[in-house]
Amino acid sequence: MTSTTGITLETVSRSFQGRGTVVQALDNVSLNCPAGSFTALIGPSGCGKSTMLRLALGLDDATSGDIGIAGMKPQQAAKAGLTGVAFQDAALMPWRSVEDNIALPLDVLGRKRADFSAKIAELIELVGLKGFEKALPGELSGGMRQRVAIARALVTDPKVLFLDEPFGALDQILRRQMNLELQRIWMESRATTLLVTHGIDEAVFLADRVVVMQSRPGRIGKIVDIPLARPRLPEVFTTPEFHALEDQVAEALDGH
Amino acid sequence: MATETALGASVGTTRETSGFRHWSALRNAAILLVAWEVLGRFKLVAGGALPAPTEVLIRFWSDRGDYPAHILATFQGASLGFLIGNGLAILAGILFAVSPVAARLGRGLNVAIFALPPIAISPILVLTFSGMTPRVVLAALGCYFVTMSATVTGISQTDRRMLDVVRAYGGGRLALLRLVEIRAALPAILAGLRVAAPAAVLGSILAEFGGGGRFGLGAYLIGSLGRADPARLWGIGLAATAMALIAYGIFALIEARLTRSTRAVTVAATPPGIRSEGSWLSTIAITLASITLPFLVWWLLLKVLGTPAMIAKTPAGVFDYLFLAPSATSAQTRLLAALGQTLPMTLIGMAAGLAFAFLLALASVVRPGIVRSFMPVALVTQTMPLVALTPLLVLLLGRGPSVILWITISVTFFPAFVTLAQGLGMVSRGALDVVRAYGASPFTQLRLVSIPASLPYLFAAMRLAVPRALLGVMIAEWLATGTGLGNLLNQSRGYLDYGMIWTVAVVSVLISVLFYQIVIVIERHVLRKRGMQPAV
Repeated sequence: MTSTTGITLETVSRSFQGRGTVVQALDNVSLNCPAGSFTALIGPSGCGKSTMLRLALGLDDATSGDIGIAGMKPQQAAKAGLTGVAFQDAALMPWRSVEDNIALPLDVLGRKRADFSAKIAELIELVGLKGFEKALPGELSGGMRQRVAIARALVTDPKVLFLDEPFGALDQILRRQMNLELQRIWMESRATTLLVTHGIDEAVFLADRVVVMQSRPGRIGKIVDIPLARPRLPEVFTTPEFHALEDQVAEALDGH
Repeated sequence: MATETALGASVGTTRETSGFRHWSALRNAAILLVAWEVLGRFKLVAGGALPAPTEVLIRFWSDRGDYPAHILATFQGASLGFLIGNGLAILAGILFAVSPVAARLGRGLNVAIFALPPIAISPILVLTFSGMTPRVVLAALGCYFVTMSATVTGISQTDRRMLDVVRAYGGGRLALLRLVEIRAALPAILAGLRVAAPAAVLGSILAEFGGGGRFGLGAYLIGSLGRADPARLWGIGLAATAMALIAYGIFALIEARLTRSTRAVTVAATPPGIRSEGSWLSTIAITLASITLPFLVWWLLLKVLGTPAMIAKTPAGVFDYLFLAPSATSAQTRLLAALGQTLPMTLIGMAAGLAFAFLLALASVVRPGIVRSFMPVALVTQTMPLVALTPLLVLLLGRGPSVILWITISVTFFPAFVTLAQGLGMVSRGALDVVRAYGASPFTQLRLVSIPASLPYLFAAMRLAVPRALLGVMIAEWLATGTGLGNLLNQSRGYLDYGMIWTVAVVSVLISVLFYQIVIVIERHVLRKRGMQPAV
């Protein structure tokens, strides 16, 4: 099952000790994201989708089960520089300029920044922030900050990309734009991508498969395949096919 | 007086109102100066004990030859102590922030350092060390707690999401510290340094009081005490204040430049490591170790320094002096008599200072103008080494018990006021709006919302007030009234009664720690019952 750069979860459970109670955040979840695929995780709050992402990132340890990132343990994969991540709030460091924030993963991984200066410039261009290289996050708008976070996630040329509601804080218009850009970036890089989102349209538009999760205990309810051809254009949002897929996801969210 | 403890620093200025505040502060200062000049010129206070500012300036000018050597000596002690104390404090803060076990082990030592009245240990330092060392040590001790707790708070309040980003790329403990935490804690650390700077000046001056050295503002003050020359005493007191203020100002500037924001930064008055995790057995073991550690450090220091046993008393030595030696009963009698004088004064002074601060803080909620125009004055007073002004209070108030009370009230009032006003200012608008929407009068708003909501800050103010009150009482006793623990310490110094010097130092630290712990226990109980969190 282990693909070269895929993500695999095998019977993963994670429980938290509350006040006298045990909260089952993830119960026996198995999921396989093949190399180069785009998977969206959607579900009500408390369904464990963020927990799943944190486990896959090695930020948290599973109570039981196995997680493989490109055939390695999450922490190993992270140390090997195979992964990239963008969180809901950009989580930029306010004291670092745009450039320096994008270069942060290089500093953590102990790579020479000089070798990546061309890459950083290219990414800044890609996310449309040319001219803002030296700006501090405080001087940028919310959308610009989020684009810095996306560029940061891509700086290591990740084989596996984790996106935790990366556009959650943006307005609907900007979000659409960013969805289009993300699709373009993803089609160029073909990194295995796991996107956690609240938006049904975003999930359907971007993903090959939408994994719908249920809460208490957190588990996978249904997996909806999205057979729409790529590149998907903005017009696809208005097609009957698209709406039908959205309805399928919505129904699965309601527990049908 | 300089804030050896955290507080004052804490009040951040919001940009919008600062212009207005500066004006009203200037106006208030001008009014004060004019009133002072009138009082002084016509010798209206205590038969000329309060000289007019112009008289002080004239005297300062004619003494100008004396000042450079004294200021330089105090500066040397203070700055060296500042460097050493803060260096250790930042390292300790990082250690405590990274390791919860270390924080719990170090708690006893931290509380002891926080609570120790500097005056009580200055004779010990003078006995144990020579030359500049006592000044450096006391200045360093004055800095340590503030900066240590600021570092811990700064690091532990680092945005979790930034940490997650670094950890997601496999960053370990060191990478987190290097790339995120230390930088994120910088504003807090700088705020700590800002408060520590005047504390270092104060520490140096306190050591000079009992140090017998020739130079230093403290030495100059003690030397001039005998002459009936209020103008000179005021000049020295103001010079010390100016030094503390400049030190405070320099770090405030650095902070503003480096952090680009004037976020309100509160410096904690809580030693790290309160939370207990793990089994009760390990909790008890760690607590015991944490209590033992200060005594171990004390014993080790004396062993390392190799001070003769007659002068330097180990914990066993103090126990022997107080309970086993032939003179033990006499020592106990003297100690108890002194405690009988000091403790009531400490409690009364502290209660009065806190009550006064609480009332003024409440009044300022009803009339916000009070805080706006009073806060700058309060902040300036925070950085004043009030202790250096004690001789002036003696001139004003004589040598009776009232001088003790006034000094104690004044050292507890300002930090308590700043803490409380800040707490009341943080009461949620929403909660106030709810009762206002039902037509509540300002008084009802206070009763239903502001007072209950500011409870954590009242406790924080009490925690801060405890050691300061004891310090205030002892200084007044030492310099003014000739009663209680302060006097016992001073006398024993004169009689070379080493056992008693150590005993008074240890007992005063223990009392301070005990009071502090009592406040903490009550605080935890009350706040837990009300579902509130302690204010830092």
